[in-house]
Amino acid sequence: MEILVCLKQVPDDSVEIRLKPGTEEVNLDGVANVVNAFDTYALEMAARLKEAVGGSVTAVTVGPEGAKDAVKTCLAVGANQGYLISDPAFEGADTLGRSKILAAAIKRLETEAGKPFDLIFCGREATDRATGQLGPQLAETLGVGVITDLVDIEQTAGGICAKQETEEGYRRVEAATPCVVTVNKPAYDPRYPTIKNKMAARKMPIPVLSAAELGQVDPGQPGVHVVKVYEPAKRQAGVKIKEETCADSAIKAVGMMAEAKLL
Amino acid sequence: MAYLISEEAQELLGAVKDFCEKEVKEQCKEYDRTGEWPKEIYDKAIEMQLHMLEVPEEYGGMGLSRVDVAALFEEMAKADAGFATTISASGLGTKPVLIAGSEELKKRACQIIVDGGFGAFCLTEPGAGSDASAGKTVAVKDGDSYVLNGRKCFITNGGVASFYCVTAMTDKSAGVKGISMFFVEAGTPGLSTGHEEDKMGIRTSNTCDVVFEDCRIPASNLIGAEGKGFSIAMKTLDQARTWMGCIATGIAQRAMEEAIAYTKERVQFGKPVLKNQALQFKVADMAIKIETARQMVAHSLTRMDQGLTYSKESAIAKCYASDIAMEVASEAIQMFGGYGYSREYPVEKLLRDAKIFQIFEGTNEVQRIVVANNTIGRF
Amino acid sequence: MDWGNRKDILVFLEQKEGKAVNVGLEALTPARTLAGLTGGRVLALVVGTDNAAAAEKAAVCCDGVLSVEGSAFGDGCADALTCALEAMVNKYVPAAVLAGNTPLGRELTARLSARLCLGSVQDATALKIEGDQVLWTVPVYGGTVLNDVAADTLPMAVTVRSGAFSKPEASVAAAVTAETVEVPADAVKARVLEAVKEISEAVNLEEAKVIVTGGRGMGSKENFALVEELAQLLGGVVGATRPAIEEAWVSRAHQVGQSGKIVAPALYIACGVSGATQHVSGMSGSGYVVAINKDEDAPIFDVADVGIIGDAMQVLPVMIEEIRKRKAE
Repeated sequence: MEILVCLKQVPDDSVEIRLKPGTEEVNLDGVANVVNAFDTYALEMAARLKEAVGGSVTAVTVGPEGAKDAVKTCLAVGANQGYLISDPAFEGADTLGRSKILAAAIKRLETEAGKPFDLIFCGREATDRATGQLGPQLAETLGVGVITDLVDIEQTAGGICAKQETEEGYRRVEAATPCVVTVNKPAYDPRYPTIKNKMAARKMPIPVLSAAELGQVDPGQPGVHVVKVYEPAKRQAGVKIKEETCADSAIKAVGMMAEAKLL
Repeated sequence: MAYLISEEAQELLGAVKDFCEKEVKEQCKEYDRTGEWPKEIYDKAIEMQLHMLEVPEEYGGMGLSRVDVAALFEEMAKADAGFATTISASGLGTKPVLIAGSEELKKRACQIIVDGGFGAFCLTEPGAGSDASAGKTVAVKDGDSYVLNGRKCFITNGGVASFYCVTAMTDKSAGVKGISMFFVEAGTPGLSTGHEEDKMGIRTSNTCDVVFEDCRIPASNLIGAEGKGFSIAMKTLDQARTWMGCIATGIAQRAMEEAIAYTKERVQFGKPVLKNQALQFKVADMAIKIETARQMVAHSLTRMDQGLTYSKESAIAKCYASDIAMEVASEAIQMFGGYGYSREYPVEKLLRDAKIFQIFEGTNEVQRIVVANNTIGRF
Repeated sequence: MDWGNRKDILVFLEQKEGKAVNVGLEALTPARTLAGLTGGRVLALVVGTDNAAAAEKAAVCCDGVLSVEGSAFGDGCADALTCALEAMVNKYVPAAVLAGNTPLGRELTARLSARLCLGSVQDATALKIEGDQVLWTVPVYGGTVLNDVAADTLPMAVTVRSGAFSKPEASVAAAVTAETVEVPADAVKARVLEAVKEISEAVNLEEAKVIVTGGRGMGSKENFALVEELAQLLGGVVGATRPAIEEAWVSRAHQVGQSGKIVAPALYIACGVSGATQHVSGMSGSGYVVAINKDEDAPIFDVADVGIIGDAMQVLPVMIEEIRKRKAE
């Protein structure tokens, strides 16, 4: 199977991100850029599928030069090749704009390779804005099917069968290829890079595709604009109880809850 | 401050740090309590190839410089010294083959490591610690074989190794010149493991007796020549010692980082206790010691990489780093106050982990003999 | 804001087993606010094989229900639903299309916005009308930062967060209009083979008055039973953090936080919960927060009215006993 994984570089989501005091500017000083967690799940699922049925995994991202690091990271954990799509004209594109850019890049890469992608993987959402729009929008732009929130996938005769997580359990959904899938957290964790793969990934070229190389692609104007950026009102911390024993603390806390008429 | 390493190694360091933070550091707290050997952590480390950093490139390794590898080892040691010790002891167990083994044995040993195995080095015996010549394990040549009999003790990786490099007497009358070195694969009939030590520290590493009862191995498993075993063992230890210094430095670094983080938060008399210059000076002394130890480790490894002598430097690195690891861990506990003495906090473990580094792979008294001999010369 | 000829507000009402889901009904509330600006109607769109129950439920909260029925919508397949939504948007020319921020709601609005080139707002937690501007509040970076955003297209597509708006008061039932949408065969690209129900319990965190949540610090499934016992004693609902769910101590229907439910009970008791941003952003609207954690520095204490520093396994049994005693009195 020829598989494409679309990824996004985001600020490390294990860090609590705040605004610079007194401003509307997000403080990203000292916050590392990482590959969006859901995209790492998508890559792992794609890599496992490739290892099971054969084929190749290509990683691609739209972003500035620095986003090459995200592609490089993927080359050490299952991607066979990677591309960065980068152009000043693409800055500020929203998810719909990025789906148009990606669709143009997909056409270009398919022409170059002389064969189409069978499957396009995306994370279910990015940890920074969590809109979950890109996968379905990319499918619409390409005119192919989409299955969201996968936790597992297998190849079938004419396409794929996906295990889609639902609130009550899961559904098994099938679709013909080519199609787009978005990935939720599966039962397994993404692999760590082996030292050798990490060293090899360093040496692999990551071609950059600019707007000119993608032909006529117009990401358009974003359909939404931000008017105000602020932090949510903070709750006031109350009292801490640390009595001689845990039992004493518990009894004291129950007393306070009763006083607040909560029992 | 840190080792001066290549950009490539910097990237690897990031990956190793990520692995250690997520898979080793917290998990090992519980294994430290139970003393269980955390196979699943080692399996993950093997999958990531962290166990084969010292394998030479021509035998399937990655071709990193020793200083690059040291930076990665320190990161592992910061997460858990027992974890780093297991991996380093495997390197120790491979060194006799790499120093003096036949091409065939080198390929064999390295392939076992690459395939996910560990090595172990068997020198110490109940009656032969610092005095290796007092060893009672014997190897008798019988046709195309050697037959080994004896008991080794305090063997790191003893119960988990895939192969062992073992010293045994081939000529009892010749003293240390009668010692030879043998390569014994796990599963060889007559090879078994005995008593497992319940250790004070590095409890995530396995330490046990290794027993040879009419253990027959091919004669081609003799490493080097008969009678060269002691010399090979000493060369092995000369090299391996620096790595112990590297791990000890990692323990000290962790202790300092924990102490700084805690005393920045701990408020007494209305301010963080680290605002007191008395504590700041403690941190300064820690940093001075740690950085000195680290650069001694780097210096010794660079000499190894450049083919220069390193016996004295290696001894200094191991001796100094382990001594200061004890000092820094102890001071870290002091900075934590009463909480430092509690097993709920991370620093008491560091002191327990650090102690062994003054003892194994040549006690620090032996290290001082090595340094003295190399400094004073014969007179 | 110039609404042009667009006046109605269309709300896609998701159904589960023939019942309208809560967040869909909640979306009728901001829809009402918008309709007040446009002077249009609030129209609820129900799509399925048998819409009777959902349509009835919605009719009393809106100005008109559009009911699209057909066998094509049987398996909840998003392809057919997208067709129905697009057809109704084209027919009724609404000023805004709203849906709950469920996986289906997100997918439908994303696909609609791609087809019609719409500005799309996800996971809105509030609607503000400032002068001429319609502003939606959306959380970013796991909820530590909020953005007020404005859509630049008509219609605008918006999904709203579960629990962020309260359901409208019921009034006179509006008319239900049957609509027909033909789904072209080639529009259906994904087929649902089977739907497996693993979680049968009904967990209503959004409307709970008391929630007792257990986190990683509970240590085991056995210990987690203490959380369940306390919740039962207080007539509350069990909540859980992501680590507790990943450990399979409790089903994911109980998840509170950014990727689970956003809750606002009168009393919230967090047991062995460290207080990661993703969790706190889902419970910080609670009335009174009690936290139990042995780590004095756990961030959960920053949002707790009462913080008990201690091992939840030791605190909870005593707490349960003490509450029982007080209830008996």
